[in-house]
This record gives sequence, structure tokens and C-alpha cells, in this order.
Amino acid sequence: MAQTISLPQAGARAKSALSTALPPILVALLALSFWYLLSITVYAGKGYLLPGPREVADAFVENGATIMAATLTTLKEAMLGYLTAIGLGVLIAAILSQSRVLERSFYPYAVLLQTVPVVAIAPLIVLWFGYNDLSVIVISLIISLFPIINNTLLGLRSTSRTLVELFAMHHTSRIISFWKLRLPGALPSMMAGLKISAGLSVIGAIVGEFIIGSGNSQGGLGVQIIFAQGRMYTALLFAEVICATLLGFVFFSVVSLLGHFLLRHWHESAAD
Amino acid sequence: MRKPPPLAAVDPAAPPPNLAKRPGAVPIALQGLSKQFGTGVQALDTINFDIAGGEFISIVGPSGCGKSTLLRIVAGLVEPTTGACERARNATAAFVFQDAALLPWRTVSRNAELLMELEGVPAPERGSRAAEALKLVGLAGFERSYPHQLSGGMRMRLSLARALALRPDLMLLDEPLAAVDELTRDVLQEELSQLWQMAGFTALLVTHNVHEAVYLSNRVVVMSARPGRILKVIQVPFPFPRSPELRSTAAFAKLTGDVSAALRQRDHI
Ligand SMILES: Nc1ncnc2c1ncn2[C@@H]1O[C@H](COP(=O)(O)OP(=O)(O)OP(=O)(O)O)[C@@H](O)[C@H]1O
Ligand SMILES: [Mg+2]
Repeated sequence: MAQTISLPQAGARAKSALSTALPPILVALLALSFWYLLSITVYAGKGYLLPGPREVADAFVENGATIMAATLTTLKEAMLGYLTAIGLGVLIAAILSQSRVLERSFYPYAVLLQTVPVVAIAPLIVLWFGYNDLSVIVISLIISLFPIINNTLLGLRSTSRTLVELFAMHHTSRIISFWKLRLPGALPSMMAGLKISAGLSVIGAIVGEFIIGSGNSQGGLGVQIIFAQGRMYTALLFAEVICATLLGFVFFSVVSLLGHFLLRHWHESAAD
Repeated sequence: MRKPPPLAAVDPAAPPPNLAKRPGAVPIALQGLSKQFGTGVQALDTINFDIAGGEFISIVGPSGCGKSTLLRIVAGLVEPTTGACERARNATAAFVFQDAALLPWRTVSRNAELLMELEGVPAPERGSRAAEALKLVGLAGFERSYPHQLSGGMRMRLSLARALALRPDLMLLDEPLAAVDELTRDVLQEELSQLWQMAGFTALLVTHNVHEAVYLSNRVVVMSARPGRILKVIQVPFPFPRSPELRSTAAFAKLTGDVSAALRQRDHI
């Protein structure tokens, strides 16, 4: 009785799913064909510059175990950096949102996090944390921190005045107000920040791996990409870049899905 | 079921004395209240008014004359620039805001429980009280919906249910029925009146609807355009419970006419 909106029929649904999936699939097929054509015409015999789809697929198969292990390493580093960034970012935003003075004093320095060229300070971080995956995690953390702070803070600041008054009228403590009013209200904006940072954390991990090189025994995708480049094994390099891209995409999708799950009942951004 | 208080009102300036005997209801004394905002806007100018415990007061006045500000001062949300609002501090007050002010991430029933939750009512009791209040405002069956799935009028009713479920001693209502269609409004006015007679809280209602003001109240306060001053206090002598037929009587028309005339007095530009 409460749900008065009628749901579209299953058939109509499948049809609309097909119509949303079809265009990007067509684009992918077109791009693949174009790539293939290029590799057998302009770049024929120059596989070290542009290997064809076939060579890349072969490189995938031949180096399956290495690529898999490298992807898992990068995944682990990016995830640790990302999760730390979430914890730290939300905490910093929560503290800054407590007073205007705090926010005005520290926010400019949070912005510096965004403007500092991570590639430039990465060597410094390696110097501090060593040639190991801890450095990689820290670089991933730094690069993904600002969007989380910024968007969470924005959300925490946008609580409706009437609701703040309502809570104040019933003698609600700061902590309870934060927990029951400010934080849930900030969720949509926070999720937007988390989505941006999801892709960034993978980029950060790969940049970190470039810098530490073969410092750690196994090496993630960044390390393997440098290896492949050194061996002029361009097909493998392609395979690894594709993996890195997919990793970022999967990260982003998981976070989007989580956001959708959290907000689906009440926020327009998660409608449908 | 209902115990209508006997009517003994003669002097419109002072509250009817018998009303003060309602248990729990809080009397309010507004003493020389003025409010000037930081922006320089003078919202209220020297408001003097006494409200007996259990009285139902309506406030009418042109838009922007400070009615919401007055309610906020009584609620303790805004400090008056000068003067004071005297009332028992331990009394439970509930505010129904002009916008429904719901939590969009909570279901209807969890919204109805909010104020009880903040005031520390134990969980099992919250559930039954919320369900009862939702039934009263005609939202039974929508417990699991979310606010965005409700119409504007339904959201306002939820806001009303949330306040009622708290069983307050003082009810501050800021145009709670303005966004509701006419049929629902009549029903809700009836409900509100009965609830007030049953529960015996003190009620302060801001409304733009002169008929609503007269039908529900012991007294109607007419305010001037900004800065808000009390232009006139009109005593409504009809005994409670009032029946809907009262609205079509000549005496009722005469009183609403008086209120409208007082409103027209000064607020036209
Ligand atoms: N927090 C505030 N800061 C500055 N000015 C304010 C504030 N709140 C209200 N005002 C001003 O005070 C005046 C009275 O506002 P108020 O909301 O009390 O009017 P109202 O009588 O409730 O109007 P309406 O019938 O339209 O709801 C308005 O001019 C408004 O702009
Ligand atoms: Mg108002």
C-alpha cells in the first residue's frame, strides 16, 4: 500500500538494460577493430610501438601468473591507502566541522594536499618510509585524502538549520547530533568524494610503485610496467596498463554500488 | 472520553482562570519581548502577553511580521533582544516547524520516534506511541515509506505525529496545516482540537487561516506588520468540544469577521 509506484515489467526492464549496454559494447568493438587495422597497416612490423590486440592477448596468457600477482599487490596497496584515507579524511572533516575557526585555520592546508605534486614528493616519502609497500600505501593515501575531506566537510556543513534547531530543542549532545543528524545528512556528499578517491588511490599506488621500483620482492603493476618497458615488451606493457585501468574501474564500481546501497531509499543521486 | 473544560471567559486581556488547572500544561508569560536580528531587521516589538496552562492560542498576522520568531523565542531557540519569556524550564515542548523538517533517511515510523528517542523514551514504548500517533494523523500503512515518497500534506502530518507522540506539555505549531488540502485540513483541525482537549497541553499555533484560528482557539492574537506588535486579542467564547457545524453559525462568522477586520487594520501597504 505504501509503495504506489508501479514497477516496470520484467520484459521492459531487460529491454532497457540491453539498450543501455549495447552502445558502449558497439564502441568497444569499433575501437578494437580500429586498433587492429592500425597494427596491421601503419604499425605493421613495429609491434614494439603498437602491438595488435592478438599480441596483447598472448602476452596476457603467457604472463598470467605474474600479472595476477602484480594486480593483487597493487590492489592490496591501493585498498590500504584508500581505507586509511577514508578513516583519516572523515575524522579530519568531522573535527574541522566542529567550529568555523578550526575550519578557517586548517582548511587551506588541506587544500595543499590537493595541489602538492605527488610525483615530486614521492621520493621524499620513500626516504621516510623506505623502499617498501608502506611508502606506496602512504602515497596512495595522500593522493586520495583531499576529495574525501572536502566532500565530507561540505556535507557536514549543509545540515538544514531547522533540523539543527529541532535537535537543539531536545537538548541533544554534539555527539548524538553528529551521529543522528550531521553524518547521515553528509552521506551523499561524502559518497561523491569516496568515488573520486577510489580511482585516485589506484593511481597513487602505481605512482608509488614507479618510485620504489623493484624495492619490494614481488612488485605491483607499477613495477611490472617499468620492467616490461625495459624489456621493450610493449604487448605486456599494454596488458598491464589494461589491468591497472580495470583495477581502478572495479574500485570505483564497488564504491558506487556501496553508495547506491546506502542511499537508495532516500537520495535522488541513488534513484533508480 | 473527552473532558471539555467549562467556559468562564469574560475579560479578553487575561487568560480564563479555570484553564490554569490542567495538569502538566505550562503557563507562559511574554514580558516586553523585542527581537532585533544582527542584520538590523526588527522582527518583534514589545510583546506583552500571558498564556494560561492548557490554553489554545492562535497567532495571525501578515507574512514576515515575526510569528515564527516569536515561536522560536518561546521554544528557547532564539534569545530575545529585550524582555523575557517566562515558562517552566522542565516542561516538554514540541515544535512543528513551517517546513516539515523530517530526516529523509529515516522511514515514517522512525521519524515519528525521533523526538522520543532524543528525550530518552525507552525503545519498546517509542514504537507503540509512534504507531498510535501515526494512526491519529492518518498515516497508518505508511510506516515503512520514506519522506520523499509522501505528499507535502502527508509530510506535515508526519511532523505533527512526531510532536504528538512526545506527549508534550507545550505544543508550538508553525502553520502546520498550510500545505494540506482543505478536506484533510478540516479533519486534522478536528483531530488537533480533540487531542488538545484530551492531552491538555498548552498550544501556540501560527496560522494564516482565520477560520482555523477561531475554530481551534481560546483566544486569537492579531499581530501587525513588521516590527510585529500585538494589535488585538480576540476572545473566542464557544465551549469545547466544538462541532464542525459551529463554522456555519452567525456567531462564528461574526468572530472571523472581527479577526479579519483587525488584520486589515494596518498591514496593507
Ligand atoms: N535568523 C534570522 N536572521 C535575520 N533575520 C531573520 C532571521 N529570522 C527571521 N528574520 C527576519 O525576521 C522577520 C520575521 O521573520 P519570521 O520568520 O518570524 O516571520 P513570519 O511572521 O513567521 O513570516 P511568515 O508568515 O512568512 O512565515 C523577517 O523579516 C525575516 O527576514
Ligand atoms: Mg513563519
